[in-house]
Amino acid sequence: MESDSTAIIQIENIAKVYEMGEEQVHALRDVSLTINGNEYIALMGPSGSGKSTLMNMLGCLDTPSSGSYLFKGENVSEMSDDDLAEIRNREIGFVFQTFNLLPRASALQNVELPLVYSGMSKRDRLDRAADALHRVGLDNRMDHRPNELSGGQRQRVAIARALVTDPAIILADEPTGNLDSRTGQDIMGLFDELWKAGNTIILVTHEEDIARHAHRIVRLRDGKVESDTENAHAPLV
Amino acid sequence: MHVIESIIMALASVRSHMLRSSLTLLSIGIGVFAIIASSGITGTLTQTLSSQLADLGENSMLIQRTPTLQFGGNWRKYQSRPDLTPEIARGLRHQMTTTQLISVSNTSNGYTVETTADASNPDVAVIGIDDLYFQVNAVSLQQGRSFTEQEVTLGSNVAIIGTDLLPLFNGTSPLGQRIKIRNQEFIVVGVLERKGGVLGQSQDNRVLLPLSIFIKYYSSRWDTSVDIAIKAYGKDAVSATFEEAVGIMRGLRDLKPWQENDFEIDLNEALAGQFNNLSAAIVVVAWVSGIGALLAAGIGIMNMMLVSVKERTREIGVRKALGAKRRWITRQFLIESITLCQLGGFTGVLGGLAVSYSATLLVRSSALPSLSFVWPLEAIIFSVVACTVIGVGFGFYPAWKAARLDPIEALRYE
Repeated sequence: MESDSTAIIQIENIAKVYEMGEEQVHALRDVSLTINGNEYIALMGPSGSGKSTLMNMLGCLDTPSSGSYLFKGENVSEMSDDDLAEIRNREIGFVFQTFNLLPRASALQNVELPLVYSGMSKRDRLDRAADALHRVGLDNRMDHRPNELSGGQRQRVAIARALVTDPAIILADEPTGNLDSRTGQDIMGLFDELWKAGNTIILVTHEEDIARHAHRIVRLRDGKVESDTENAHAPLV
Repeated sequence: MHVIESIIMALASVRSHMLRSSLTLLSIGIGVFAIIASSGITGTLTQTLSSQLADLGENSMLIQRTPTLQFGGNWRKYQSRPDLTPEIARGLRHQMTTTQLISVSNTSNGYTVETTADASNPDVAVIGIDDLYFQVNAVSLQQGRSFTEQEVTLGSNVAIIGTDLLPLFNGTSPLGQRIKIRNQEFIVVGVLERKGGVLGQSQDNRVLLPLSIFIKYYSSRWDTSVDIAIKAYGKDAVSATFEEAVGIMRGLRDLKPWQENDFEIDLNEALAGQFNNLSAAIVVVAWVSGIGALLAAGIGIMNMMLVSVKERTREIGVRKALGAKRRWITRQFLIESITLCQLGGFTGVLGGLAVSYSATLLVRSSALPSLSFVWPLEAIIFSVVACTVIGVGFGFYPAWKAARLDPIEALRYE
């Protein structure tokens, strides 16, 4: 890519093999991928293509069976559970299809949570959480619980939670999958803005409409990268 | 991770599963309750017991047909023992050289005392005594006089009353007035000094009568045996007097050397010891059952926490995705289980204190004004510690399980 940033993610020849009883399932075979700072990437592919496995790998929720994965130069492949947790906490902001907010906590408390795990003081946490909610336009919903918010608002809270640690990448798994198309477009508009503000965004989706927002589309099939192309249709934001 | 958040989570999970939680918390509460209540009650009682124990005076011993407190299945053995009679007492008095302070008495319960103005509850103890009663026992007169030897032998209709009966006389002096007990009339000649109570039983709700008239009209149908109290002349003479009394009793009973005593003889200290043993037994039983209940509750806590982990699998997945390390998750669930245990323990402590405190108030107002509540501090500390230990002990496995969940699987969990 032509980006001036250095590589955040460098994946070389990784494979993931699951043991299903006697059988070995090859979820990923020989995948290589480099992602630089301030990229806007869509990861696409039908179910069974290895899309989810790669996403889990990128999100440091899982480690490859073979191959190397460098995250900002650090070798993730060999990390322990707790080291991975630390990387996730510091470097990765997750946005899920089903939002995954804690139901009994307010919007502010939900956004605050990653900072709790990073050991930040209460005052700093609240400042930064409020700031993140402000960035997603929810200044006046901070004390609301998830069940008092609309779907779009919930996803905004989740995006604020992903932003709050100022991570290296934002990893969004079907972020509009549970929203109507108009709200979905609003949320995608928000991602566009975040990209413009300098964030690195990885979208995992099977919807062409959504993928079109990205500037680079990586398609997977049968555990391999089928194509890795620039998106000519990307909106000029 | 802030502790407060985990505590709030624990309280929220209690609220969302009210029935299941309250049953689990109840079992912890019962365990703690048993420990606190028993410790509170026995602690309060034993404090006052030693001084207020019985009528028996210093350097005294008591011969009875059966033990004051009976444990176990020796009932038959005791029931087959021959009665102690005034004749036996006369025999002792005749033969003993170390003391002549030998008093015979017998007690029968459940009488109504009537005066011209009023009548008591049917719970007055009637005690038949002889003329040496006041010298041998730790009982003294507040007003009036004791019985003469003549009154005792003839069985005169005279009585000495306890202070609980004073209200029956409408504020007038009871001395010289008539009382009626089951159709027999007596003239009051004395009033006993107030004694308070033992084990919730007032020692002042009583009437003393000459032994001979007692035996004639009031002796219990089931237990006609008298009690013989013997007082040694001094502290140093106690064991000699005790030995002599045992020897003479065996002689009077015609016991062969290989036969065991068919009577009980106890020093007043030994009687106090028996009460102490009783309260110790209560405490042991309550603690053992309390600890048993706590262990059972621990299993309940473990089950509750396992269900909680299962139900919140997804939440755990989210937390791990957001960067929670294993120890954060472990700690969160441990704090939750400790909070649950403490919540149950707290209710148990409150319940236990409420019961033992009201028991104290009850006994104080009815029998023992000098009784003061003893806070079962050790038991409270033990309960708090035990609840924490149980919370950690039984919460550890669920917490460990939660911490080791695979975040990917957990996030996918429906």
